[in-house]
Amino acid sequence: MPILRLRKTGHEAIEANHEINDCKEDFPMKTATTRDWKVTQRFLRQLLTGCLLLPVAAHAGSTAPTIKLFPTTVLEEIKHTGNVAAEMETGLQAVIGRLDEQQKLYMESKCEGNEGDPGCERMARQLGKSYLEMLNVMADKLPEMETAVNATSSSLEKRIRMELGQKKTSWTLQELLIGEESGTSATASQPSLRGRSGMRLSDRFSQYYKLVARSGGKTNSSLAVIASDIYLDMQETSSLIARTREEISRATLMEQLNQSFGTITPEMQEVVAGVKAILFGEEQDVIPMAIPPAGPADSGYESALQM
Amino acid sequence: MNPSIKSKLGGLVTVAALTASLAACSSNPTQATTCTPPQGPNLESALSKARFDLETGCEHEFDAYFQRLLTIAEGDPKQENKASFSDFLLWTNDAGLLSKRQAREIYNRYFGVKYVSLISDYSVCQQTCPDQSAVMRDMNRELGDKEQGLLRISADRLNYTRASNLYQETELVLEATCEACGPVE
Repeated sequence: MPILRLRKTGHEAIEANHEINDCKEDFPMKTATTRDWKVTQRFLRQLLTGCLLLPVAAHAGSTAPTIKLFPTTVLEEIKHTGNVAAEMETGLQAVIGRLDEQQKLYMESKCEGNEGDPGCERMARQLGKSYLEMLNVMADKLPEMETAVNATSSSLEKRIRMELGQKKTSWTLQELLIGEESGTSATASQPSLRGRSGMRLSDRFSQYYKLVARSGGKTNSSLAVIASDIYLDMQETSSLIARTREEISRATLMEQLNQSFGTITPEMQEVVAGVKAILFGEEQDVIPMAIPPAGPADSGYESALQM
Repeated sequence: MNPSIKSKLGGLVTVAALTASLAACSSNPTQATTCTPPQGPNLESALSKARFDLETGCEHEFDAYFQRLLTIAEGDPKQENKASFSDFLLWTNDAGLLSKRQAREIYNRYFGVKYVSLISDYSVCQQTCPDQSAVMRDMNRELGDKEQGLLRISADRLNYTRASNLYQETELVLEATCEACGPVE
């Protein structure tokens, strides 16, 4: 069964925004809030669980790597990005916990569909305040996060361009991937598991760091795949952060207006549930993954024509 | 020139032409003129007939013959089929039907793990990235051929899985590498 690697694309976000915008004319305030929350939620979900892939590999090869995809500088940048992510999570954890509590209370008070009630309106405003606070934390931390992610991405880009793009032909690249350059068998050269892990961004970076820091035990083919994975995810994360930063000021303004009107959307419960899942690293979508079957690397027959 | 000698010479030319024409006919057996790819479920018989036909005037039909052989082999998938095709392709090279390179590429397209679509002389940035989508399309087609050769003909699930994984890893690594190489100038 082939390895599955699913990646969210920018199109998804664009489509989602179109969908939301289609409703905007009927309920301008309500949908603006929903949209803000959804964008935020989407960002968090992708940042913390969705867009980064975790190769969990436990092989210990004997061949030292000959391609230099992860020099110390890149390792340090990955580590730093993990630290920045951890800080951001810490900042968000409290406010998201509060959002969760408020959401729970709002639901238990049967405020859903009863928005005109003064008590419910008050709760909705409190929920909105917490949301604003979350936006502020994000606005505060995102620039640093963006810088860290971009630095890692840029360093990896240079290494990939040099080591894989300029030093390899497509033929030698596939030989690297199949594990022949390092003299290892194909089954031993592949990470055993790849895919979304549902873990926090900081943990993920920590895993990345550990994975590549012990690269003496990794094969080149695995490193090429890991580097590619991390680089593409950094690119995606970077663009997501940029889009989110653009959204934050608008979302903040809209929520401030909502505070005046005291509106709350039923979708907020969904958002809080999503945010809670993100923060605690619960899985959102389980993506099937496959590993190559165990067994001998070769079928035995080797033709004189074999390349 | 004496008319009688002229007449004799004319006769000789005619006889020579007829002889040459008959000789040419005798070197083209009737089977070859029909060039019908082999039928039936037995791969070894089919290979034998294909060898005979291909070296007796049907070489222009090589592709049709080869496709038929693949189809026949699908009827009885087993590891040994790989060796049969290897021997056949080596023979095509010995018989002068295919170059060594052509034979090797055909064999590996169907029975190898690596992708002949990725054969290149220049760097990934220079040669592959400008044509990345076409390369991936070719690889995808080749994966289909490997499915036929490795899975449906040779019952070699392990190597087919390796080929399939290699396709996906190549796709990922090429995507990242071409992104890192930057836009084509």
